[in-house]
This record gives sequence, C-alpha cells and structure tokens, in this order.
Amino acid sequence: MKKTLALVLVMAMCLALLSGCGGGKKSGGTLNIYTWAEMFDQDVLDGFEKETGITINYTNFDYDETMLEKLEASNGGEYDLVIADDYIIETVIAEGLAQKLDRSKLSNWGNINPIYQGQFYDPTDEYTVPYGAGVQTIAYDPAVVSVPVRGYADLWDASFRDSIAITANYRVMIGMALKVLGYSYNTNDLAQIEEAGELFYKLADNIRLIKDDNVQDDLISGEVSAAVMYTSQVTMAKLTKPELEVVYPTEGIGFGIMGMFIPSQAPNADAALQFINYILQPEISAKSFEYLGYYCTTKAADDLIAEEYREFLVLPEEFRADDMEMIGNISPEAAAKQEEIWIEFRNRCGQ
Amino acid sequence: MKSRSRFPMIYLFVITVIMYLPILFVMIYSVNLSKISSVWTGFSLKWYRELFRDRNVGTALWNSLILGGVSSLAAAVIGTLGAIGTVRTGFRGKGAMEYIATLPMMTPEIILGMIFLAFFSLLGLPFGMTTLIIAHTAFCIPYIFMQVKARLAGMDKSCEEAARDLGAGRARVFFDITLPLIMPGIVSGMLLSFAMSFDDVIISIFVTGVSVNTLPILIYTQLKTGVTPKVNALCTLMFLATLLIVVLSALIGRLGNRKSPK
Amino acid sequence: MQRERRGENAAFLAPMYIFTVIFLIGPFVYMLVLSFLTRAETWGVVNSFTLRNYERILEPLYFNTFVESVKLAVLVTALVALFGYPFGYFMAKLPPKRRGLMLMLVMIPFYTSSLMRLYGWIIVLRANGLLDKLLMALHITSEPLKILYTYPAVAVGMVYALLPFMMLSVYSSVEKMDWALVEAARDMGASPAGAFLTVTLPLTMPGLMTGVILTFVPSMGLFFVADILGGNKIVLVGSLIQEQLMKVHDQPFAAALSVIMMLMMTVMIWLYRRVTGSGEMEGML
Repeated sequence: MKKTLALVLVMAMCLALLSGCGGGKKSGGTLNIYTWAEMFDQDVLDGFEKETGITINYTNFDYDETMLEKLEASNGGEYDLVIADDYIIETVIAEGLAQKLDRSKLSNWGNINPIYQGQFYDPTDEYTVPYGAGVQTIAYDPAVVSVPVRGYADLWDASFRDSIAITANYRVMIGMALKVLGYSYNTNDLAQIEEAGELFYKLADNIRLIKDDNVQDDLISGEVSAAVMYTSQVTMAKLTKPELEVVYPTEGIGFGIMGMFIPSQAPNADAALQFINYILQPEISAKSFEYLGYYCTTKAADDLIAEEYREFLVLPEEFRADDMEMIGNISPEAAAKQEEIWIEFRNRCGQ
Repeated sequence: MKSRSRFPMIYLFVITVIMYLPILFVMIYSVNLSKISSVWTGFSLKWYRELFRDRNVGTALWNSLILGGVSSLAAAVIGTLGAIGTVRTGFRGKGAMEYIATLPMMTPEIILGMIFLAFFSLLGLPFGMTTLIIAHTAFCIPYIFMQVKARLAGMDKSCEEAARDLGAGRARVFFDITLPLIMPGIVSGMLLSFAMSFDDVIISIFVTGVSVNTLPILIYTQLKTGVTPKVNALCTLMFLATLLIVVLSALIGRLGNRKSPK
Repeated sequence: MQRERRGENAAFLAPMYIFTVIFLIGPFVYMLVLSFLTRAETWGVVNSFTLRNYERILEPLYFNTFVESVKLAVLVTALVALFGYPFGYFMAKLPPKRRGLMLMLVMIPFYTSSLMRLYGWIIVLRANGLLDKLLMALHITSEPLKILYTYPAVAVGMVYALLPFMMLSVYSSVEKMDWALVEAARDMGASPAGAFLTVTLPLTMPGLMTGVILTFVPSMGLFFVADILGGNKIVLVGSLIQEQLMKVHDQPFAAALSVIMMLMMTVMIWLYRRVTGSGEMEGML
C-alpha cells in the first residue's frame, strides 16, 4: 500500500516539475505584493491583471515586524509593493528601505483624502500612499453587558471577568492603560510605563482572548461580551449583528493608517506605481474598501460606496485630528519595558 | 478464552471517531453560507467557487508540492547513501555521525527554524525556495536514514556475496541486489518525509522568502488573519485528496496481492 | 581490496557528511556563538561577548515561562501516553486484515494538515459551539462552558496533534514482540496484569519511550497551538523564541533560549538511552 502511494506521489511530483519548467512568465512581468492576507477583493486584482497584463504575486505576513525582518533580510529587494502600518513605515523609511514615489506616474494622486496625508511617518508624502485607516474602538453586546461602557476604564469592571477580547498589539493594549492614566501612547518615561503596567496587570482577570484577527467572530458567537477592535472588525461585526454597541473611548482615540510603499530595490517599481494608480481610481477604491472594511482613504470614492457600508467606511465628521493620537516609535528602553510587561501580562492571563 | 472483553474494539472505535470529528466539522462548515464561521445560515458551495478563483491557493499548493518533492528526493539520495555507508563502516566516529544525522528529529522545530533563519542570514542566502529546500531536506534526512538503516540491518548479506561470487561488479551488485532490497525503506521514508514537509508550518515560516507561500503558511496566516470559510473548503479538498490516494493505493495493493502467488 | 572498499564507503558517506556539517552543525554552532553576543540597537548583532542573555533567562519573567512550558509538556506527554499506549497496543493485537485498515485510519489524519485538524477543534470547543450545544441539549450544562482559549483547550489540541506519534511507535513495538514470552509468564502462573507489567511493558518500553520523546520535544515548541486554541494567553518557550526572533528582533536572546531548550532535550535523550539501554530510537515508524 505504502509503495503504491509513494509511486503515485513521486509520479505526480515529476509531472509537476516538468510542467513547472515549461510555464513561462507573462509579457507584462510580475508584481510582488506583500501584505496581510485578504487585503483585496479578487475582482480588483483580476481587473488589474487584465488591464495591464502584469501578473500579481500576492504574499502575506502576519505582523508588521515579520515584514520588516524580511525586508531587511532582502535589503529592500524582492517585493515591489508593501502595505503595512504607519509606525513600521517610519522605521522602513528611516532605514532607507523605501523609495520615493514618482508622482508623474500617479495621475490619480489628487483622489487621496488629505486627512490621511502628511502624517508623522511620512510628513511630506514622498514615500507612501494611504490605503485604509482605522480607530480602536470598544464593541460590546448590550444583551450581556450590564454596566455602561464609555471608555477604556470601564473594561476594568469586575463584571467583565473572563469575557473581554483584546488585540495582540502590545503598544495598543498597554496604550489603553496609558490613556486611562492620562499619558501619551508614545511616552518614553519608564515610570509612566511602569505605572501603566501595574494597572494593566489588573485587567488580566477579565481577558478571555488575545488576537489580532477575527475578534468579531468571537463577539458574535458569544465567546466574549466586549472587545477592543479595529475599524474593519467593527464593520464586519455590525453588518452581521447590528445590535452590537460601538464605543469611541472617552480617554482618546487611537488612530492608525495603513500605507502602500515601494521598497528601495523593488524589481518592478513601475508595476507597483501602475497598481497604486489603479487602486486610486474612485470605482476601484470604493470596491476595495467595501471589501476591506477600513475607513476609505480615497476621497473621490466616498460617494461611490454603497449605502449599507457608508456609515462604517467614512470617518465620522465629529472626529478631529487633535482628539486622536497615532502610535509612533518609542525609545528602545521604553519598547523593551513594554515587551516585558506584555509577556508578564499574558502569563497572568493564562493562569 | 474467546469471551474476551469487547473493550479493545470499543476503545479503538471511540478514539478513532474522536480523531476524525474535527475534520468532519471543518468539512461541514465548508458549505456554510455565512462568512462568519460561527453562524450557520444555509448550504452553499460559494466558498468552493471563491477558492478556485483565488490563484494564491494554486500557487501555494504548487510550491508545497515542489518543496515536498524536491526535498524528499534530495533527502532520499543523501540519507540512503549515508545509511549504507554507516552500516558498512566500522570506524569510530560512527556513533557521533548517527547522533548528528538524527539530530533534527530530536530538535523542536522551533529551534530548527531559529537556527536556519540565523544561519542563512549569516551566509547571506536569499530567502525563498532554496532556503526552504535546504531546511526541509535537513529535517527529512533522518526519516530516510532510519528507515534504510533498519532495512539494511535486517538484510541477508549472503545475496550480495553470492552475486559478487558469481562475478557481478560492485555497481551491478548495488543496483540489482542492494537497492531493490532497501527500496521499501526508501519509499516509506520518502513518503513520511513528504508528509512532514507538506505539513510543516514552523520551520517554513522562518526560512521562507518574500514571494514564496507554501500551503501550510497560507492556511496559518488565513487562520490568524482573514478567515473565510474558504479555508474550510481548501482543507476539505486536501483531506479528500489524501483519502482518495490512500484508499486507491490500498485497493491497488490488494489487487496486486491477489495476483501474486504469495 | 580493503582500500577500495574504504574509498567506496567514504563516497557513500560524503554527501551526508558534507550536508550535515554545513547545514546542521554549522547552524547549531552559530546558535551557540550567537547566544553569547549582544543585540544591536536596531537590527542584527554586535560581536561583543556577553552572558547577559543567559542572565535574562533566570529573571522570574522568563524563568516562569520555562517552568510553565515544561509543566504543560509533561502533562501533554502523560496524556498522550495514557491514551496512545492502549491504542497502539490494541491495534497491534488486531487480526492482520483489520490491522491494515486501522493503520490506514491512523495514517490518514497524520497526512492531513495539522492546522486543519486544530481548526476543527475551534468549531467544536467555541462558546455555543457543537460541544456546548450537545451538552445543553442533554441538560448536562445550562450555559456555555467557555473551554476555548483556556489552558485545557491548549492541552487538548496538543494531545490531539501528537497522539498519532505515540500510537504508531507503540504499535510497531508491540507488533515486534515475542508473545511466547507472555504465554510463558502466564503458564508460570502470572496474572494477566502481572504478565503485562513484568513482560509486555518492559518489552514495549522502547516504543513507549520513543513516543514520549516524539511528544515531549515538539510540545514545548508548538506555538501555533497556543496561538490558535489558547487565545495567545499561554506563553510557551516556543512562543517566546518566535516572538524574540520575529517581533523583537533579538536574535542572541532567542539563541540563548534555544540553547537551554536544546540542553534539556539532550538530557532527555540521554535518559532514554539509559532506560532502554539502546542507542537507537525504536519503533520509529
């Protein structure tokens, strides 16, 4: 039995190898996109391939840091287009791993919503084009939550025992405690971080789950009764279960932008520019953001977004930039302190 | 004596059922209409359609097949030769060699992943298919080595000697006598290697490059990031393919047995 | 003649020698070296000797993680042995025809993606999932159990993932056993349990021990099980290494953690050899 099985496998492999050699590349070349999974509607990708003849090779990472690691290992080569979070882009640019965008090839540049431009990671917009933005919110199921929730501080309430989901980004989570204490996300003051850590540990009993993705699944299934979530997750959750409540914490709103950039040694930068320009078309943007569920960063697309999605995809007007704080890079000592707090916190959650 | 308790059969049955239950549920939820995997909203083949449209899955499957194929082949050659050499020599370093050859089996995958990542970046090797193949070959060698060595240990030396007495050359003896005798060991070792390689997440995550996704990496990132029931559909198809191959080969094997006089 | 032989053997051994020296010994030696180096400010390492990485492991934070991880690995290994040994044993005693079928049934999940099998457990264990619904329908419980994302869920997932290794290694050990010895013991008046303890168990010890090693070794490193089923709350040494490497970029510390873990494994294998008195892993499929 084993023998035949092996034979079948070996034959299949030989065939695979043979045909693999024959398959050449398409004329338009290849565009290597490196980002999280499920960032684009397949129709959008297919449309680009049809329009340009360029083949898209879509690869994924799980965390921004993994991306940075790979980008450093390849010295800014191999990938043509990367989409990642704001703070990591700051590092990428500082390390010289991104190249300046040739705006003459981006005829749709004007479609970008200026709210999302000129941010700390790329003050003059030389390297990046925003692709989606979000805020951290608390979502909860009013059917099972009895206390009023207005901000982060309410999550410490004893009634939430073993029923809160948080994201796996320790800067955002410890940031929550920092915000409750009235400090900045980006403080380098070790005493402040330590104080926040002590407060944060007290939250451990209430934590049921730590994960970055699909937290909405657990909120909908009743696994948790409240969750700290990103915008796209709120969109998904509300569309499935409209009775969920969403809270913008009174302590201040954490704000994040995802950006597209071209690595310094990208083999096919031209294709990447074509892709950026393609995405910036209003119709394509609208379709992409309906799929993605983050705030739409293409101003020209706002009006094209279907009614059912609009309330989730367009930044609420009452939000002003000064109410929100973005998470940037902090000193190595502060980062190390936060890492340790994070491990200790998880150890306490698991017990 | 015959009135033995039925306990063994019941035990085997229950554990087997438990082993298959999770697989069954994944299959059931692959035809669930809802995008949220915790709510059942109705039967649909939508996710299979989505799956076939997603070319990343095809590419990843492709990469995994090539990776598994090439590394189990490479490991088969290196491991078989190594096993023959080890059995035949009586030199002192033999024990140490055996220990080192089987080291990857005794090392947690996480450590293998870590040392390969560190070492490859030290050498400046570009991460991608090459690094994947080297790493996978390294952890596949022990499986082949052990299997072939076991075969060799149980082998009757007289066949080789008789052939040689009859005037066969060394190469001839190797290809006509030794190789066929150890073939089952090589094949089952390769099969195991292929399965290990095809299922490996941990090492692959560390040593993969920018543009190479393997199937397990794809499933892992999907499980952690955007899980859609597409993953269920993919897993279902993979399972059915495995099942088909195993059952088919069992049937063919039985047919072959019936024909042979033994 | 003798010299020619030796040359031939060297040729047989050469590929394995060269490959293992470059791609196995090399990385291991580098890991050792790396563990004594200093982490650079941003990325990479600085070539200055330090014992700091090992000192850090002794800090309560990391030391506890080690202890907890070992505890979990011991628990998982014990459970795997408890469930897997009888399975392998009974399987080997089946009539040959059924044995083939059973072996096939065990191999099929083994060839199926382990991630898929874990994902199936999420569906079973989640709140208001299948287990909850079943228990509530039977009126055993009245509200969701909340098993997913707990320590038991991680243990279940690991046991499940590693069980086939134990089954198969015990199976091959029992299959090879000389039953005449058991009969002899019985003829001499030993009870079934006595015969099992004095004859069968010692004879199948190598298979059991192989299973133990094949379970214990991975169970400290299977970070994705802790990720997926433990809701990220259980920190294994494996998770620690992975995070130090991929998120924190502290290669030297990750190397030091690996060295310690490796030392523990070596001790285990040494114990294995002492217990079984053999230099080889038996019943390795």
